[in-house]
Amino acid sequence: MATYHLQVVSLDGMEYEGEVERILLRTVDGDVEILARHTNYCTGIGMGTARVTLGNGTERKAACIGGMLSVMDGEVRVLPTTWEWSDEIDVERARSAKARAEEALKDAQLTKEARVRAEAKLYRALVRIGSAQ
Amino acid sequence: MAANMKAVKLRIKSVQSTMQITKAMQLVAASKLRKAKEKADNSKPYLDTLLATLRDIAGGNTDFQSPYTKVGKSDKWLYVVIAGDRGLAGGYNSNLFKFMESETKGRDIEVLPIGKKSVEYFKHRNVPIFTEEFAEVAKVTVSECFAVAKLLCEAYKEERFGHIFLCYTDFISMMSQVPKASSILPLSDLKVEEEEKKKSKSLILYEPDSETVFNTVVPEYLAGVLYSSINISVASELAARRTAMEAATDNAEEMIETLSLYYNRARQASITQEITEIVAGAEEP
Repeated sequence: MATYHLQVVSLDGMEYEGEVERILLRTVDGDVEILARHTNYCTGIGMGTARVTLGNGTERKAACIGGMLSVMDGEVRVLPTTWEWSDEIDVERARSAKARAEEALKDAQLTKEARVRAEAKLYRALVRIGSAQ
Repeated sequence: MAANMKAVKLRIKSVQSTMQITKAMQLVAASKLRKAKEKADNSKPYLDTLLATLRDIAGGNTDFQSPYTKVGKSDKWLYVVIAGDRGLAGGYNSNLFKFMESETKGRDIEVLPIGKKSVEYFKHRNVPIFTEEFAEVAKVTVSECFAVAKLLCEAYKEERFGHIFLCYTDFISMMSQVPKASSILPLSDLKVEEEEKKKSKSLILYEPDSETVFNTVVPEYLAGVLYSSINISVASELAARRTAMEAATDNAEEMIETLSLYYNRARQASITQEITEIVAGAEEP
C-alpha cells in the first residue's frame, strides 16, 4: 500500500518520523484515519488511542491526548500535547490516577472546576490504560 | 608584623571557603545545565512545527476570523516575565529587568511574573501583578503552563489586554544569554508571514471548522510557547550562574595567590628581622 511521511512531535520532542501506511486517531469530531494522498486537512485532537500502521505493515498503538493534526501537501503532522507509545505507558501510575480521580468524583460537594479537572484526569487515565493493552 | 600575618592568614582562609562554595555552585550549575539544555532542545521542534502549521492556516484562509488574531481595543499590555528563583547568577536577573524597563517605557502594563526574583522585583516597583500563582520557575510543569495559557486566553478574549508579550532570556550559547520579548497575542507574527506568502491559496479542509480548530489550537500553542520559553530561561539561568561562579572561583584563586605571596613576604621579613636582632645582640662585646 502507498505510504506517506508522518511526523509526530510532542512537547517532549520528536516522537516519530518516517514512512507510514495510515494513522487512526480520535479527533474532537470523532475517529479519523489518514491514508496516503489525503487532501489538505486540519483538526483538533481529542483523547484516544492512536493506531499507526508503519510502512512494513506492523501496527503500533499510542495514547494520544490533545493538540492538532494537519495534512499539508502530503506531509502529515501530528502535534499532540502528550503522546505515549503503548510500551512506554506506566500502567500502574495510570491505574492509581484512575482510582484517585474516581475517589475525588465521589465527593458530592465538589466544585464545578474540580469536577472538570477530576473528570479530565479520569479520561486521561482510561485512555492510557486502554492504549497499553 | 605578627598580628598582620595572622590577619592575612584569616583572610586567606575566608577566601578559600568562599571559593569552595562558588566552585560547588559552578559544578552543580554545570551538571543541571546539561539536563535543562536537553529539555529546551526537546520542546523546540514541537514549537516550530506548531507555528508553521498555524501560519499555513492563517496564510491559506483570507476571510479568517478568530478573537486571537484581532488586535484588541484595550491599550493595556500584559507581560509574562520569566526570571530566576535565586540570585548569584551574574547579570541574569538584572539584565532581564533592565531590558524590561526599556521595553515597557511609556506603556500601561501589567505583569505575570514567573520566578521568585521576578515577583519580588515587580512588587517592589508597585507594578500591577496579574497573578503570582506561578512564583517558582523551577517547579512549573506542563499542566501549569496550560493553566497559564488558559488564563491568558480568557483575559485576552475579555479584552482586558490589547497585547500580550512574553519576556524571557534566550539561550544563544554557553557564554551568551540575551533577554528577549516576543509577542504572543494577538498572533501578529502570523499576519506578517501571511503578507510575505502572498496568500498561497491552498485549500484546507477543517473539521469541524477553521475557527474551532484555531481556537482549540491557540491555547495549546501558548502553553507550548510558555513551556519551552521557561525551559530555555532555566537553561540560560544555569549557564549564567555557571559562568558567574567560574569567574568568582578564578578571582578567589587569584586573591589567594596574592595574599599568600604577601603572607610569605611578611613571614620572611619577620625572620630576617629576628636574625638581624640576634646578630646585633651577639656583636655586642
